[in-house]
Amino acid sequence: MVHILGINLPDNQLARFALTSIYGVGPHLSHRLCARFQIHDRCRVKDLTPFQTTALASFLQSPKTALPVPQYPLAPANFVPRPPFKSTQELQAEFNAAKTAQKQNRDEKLLQMAPEKKSRDPLTELRIESELRREIRENIAHQRMIGSYVGRRHAMHLPVRGQRTQTNAKTARKLNSLDRW
Amino acid sequence: MALASSRPSFYRSLQGTLTGLPHTRGYANSPPGQQSPFKIQNVKNSGTSKNKKAFSRKNRIGAFRSMNPSQLTDPVLQPHSNLSVPSFKPELMTEDRIGQVVAFNQTPHDPIKYFGIPKNMLLEFRLLSQRCSVIRNITVFTAEELKSAASKPSHKTRYVLTGPSGCGKSFLLLQAVQFCLAEEWIVIYIPRAKTTVNSTTTHTYDLRTQTYLQPNFAQQTLRRILEVNSSNLQTLTMREGLNYDRRSFSSGTTLAQLASAGSKDPVISSVVLETLLNELSRQSKIPVLLAVDDFQAIYNQKTLYRDPHFSAIRPYHLAIPRLILEYASGKRSFPKGAILGAITAADPMFPVTTELMDELRLPGTHPRSAYNKRSKILQEYAQGLMNLPVPEEFSPREAASVFENWMRDNALTAPANDEVFLAKYTESAGNPKAFVWQGILGTLEGAAPIVSENTPWPQLREGRM
Repeated sequence: MVHILGINLPDNQLARFALTSIYGVGPHLSHRLCARFQIHDRCRVKDLTPFQTTALASFLQSPKTALPVPQYPLAPANFVPRPPFKSTQELQAEFNAAKTAQKQNRDEKLLQMAPEKKSRDPLTELRIESELRREIRENIAHQRMIGSYVGRRHAMHLPVRGQRTQTNAKTARKLNSLDRW
Repeated sequence: MALASSRPSFYRSLQGTLTGLPHTRGYANSPPGQQSPFKIQNVKNSGTSKNKKAFSRKNRIGAFRSMNPSQLTDPVLQPHSNLSVPSFKPELMTEDRIGQVVAFNQTPHDPIKYFGIPKNMLLEFRLLSQRCSVIRNITVFTAEELKSAASKPSHKTRYVLTGPSGCGKSFLLLQAVQFCLAEEWIVIYIPRAKTTVNSTTTHTYDLRTQTYLQPNFAQQTLRRILEVNSSNLQTLTMREGLNYDRRSFSSGTTLAQLASAGSKDPVISSVVLETLLNELSRQSKIPVLLAVDDFQAIYNQKTLYRDPHFSAIRPYHLAIPRLILEYASGKRSFPKGAILGAITAADPMFPVTTELMDELRLPGTHPRSAYNKRSKILQEYAQGLMNLPVPEEFSPREAASVFENWMRDNALTAPANDEVFLAKYTESAGNPKAFVWQGILGTLEGAAPIVSENTPWPQLREGRM
């Protein structure tokens, strides 16, 4: 049993499916999350390494403060790797040093250029659980505040999107309200 | 009123007879210790009483329960096959033995058990009493090629077995593997190369090799290579020592010891596999065969793996497919040996790509022109591959042997005569898979009805005994 954000993920489930039990994470976001942490499609929750579990949990706690994933180099066709004498940590340290040196040069050039492009990665603007519920509540409150039709319908516990009310508005009568979440 | 009074006595008298009947129908009862799945548990629930546990796996009975094989004592269910097929030997790979059925017997280093086989062949071997295959003219040709390849470097013998679906490519590859093992080669057989690219094994990025390593698959592969080739690997030793992750292997360690260490620990398995293959590429004592089924899967531009930025990982950026690609393209080579690949013609997820079709000069289903997209890197990895077309039909002699083999194994419901054989051979157009699965195993013909001559109007009594 793995616990992420207070949600219990059953051991035998596929990790990609288990992540969808988090509020705000659907199949596509779950696929992206698995890709980010190098979890393959058929990985079960019990096969996740402790490193992957902690990385997932810490990312989902605060997606905005997570470090961006660096672009690691990929071997060209005739690449011959070095013999395995250096450890992974040393190689990583070398890579990081090279990257920071490169970044310093780029930063100077970028100061003159146009602002950064917005990244297309949905994980950078990920909103889940309480944050997402708060956003929905704020949206409904905003609609009421500006006095719109949508706001009025929420307040009256009636369907918002033009459905019929002569019959069949049961779900709206039960669930629609101003403080929905 | 008279009737009403008599009815209760009638029912009472009936009850006596009903209770006398033994309660025989017990198969719908729930297993002991568990609640009946069809009994309504909570009557208090409003609406439908959903007993969710009733349909869980534990409580479900189903229509029947399969019996333990040891309880099958009825004589009808005992095996009656009189199949005695000679076992496979390399000496049988001659022209005069074409059409003979041979069996792959269970040996201590059985490649079928340790390496595994493609799914279709597995199902067929489950049905037969012995694991048989027929020697075809292409088998003899391949055996000759492999014999001559034993003294040449592997980059000079790189064949890809091609042909339409069901023509016997995987079977031929297995025959080649068995042949090479019998000739004391070192054999590395990957029966389902699809599993290296369809995102079913762990992958981790490695900065040293700048590729995604597949440690669990490497561990499994090392274990399999060790189990099948242990005797050969024990005679070979490492030329250079290896120091990795606080483990060290001195220069005299046998390759068997190296492989065994790698097969126990996934952390070092990728490095050990790489070192093992490097050592095999340096020794020229024992020829090495690298046989890969599902060969076209590693030539697809995009695998099902995704990198952290969600773009598809290319096959040459994954450790195991990259290894296969390097040996298949001749960039790396064994001093003695061969590379054999067999494509799977009918897999929509991993079709045969344009680069492979160009190199092997296959017609393909759609016309290709210079304007079709091709990947330069994959073209480079496909350079020098030779096409070995597997004939798409059995010759009548081969088909007859296969028919007799299944007949002796009691697989035929129809009477075993020439008409049935020729009918099935024609219906399947000689295609091996169709001949066996739809022809022999799928035939609806049964035994002809036997009517005695003495009955009047026998044609009317046909079928009625």
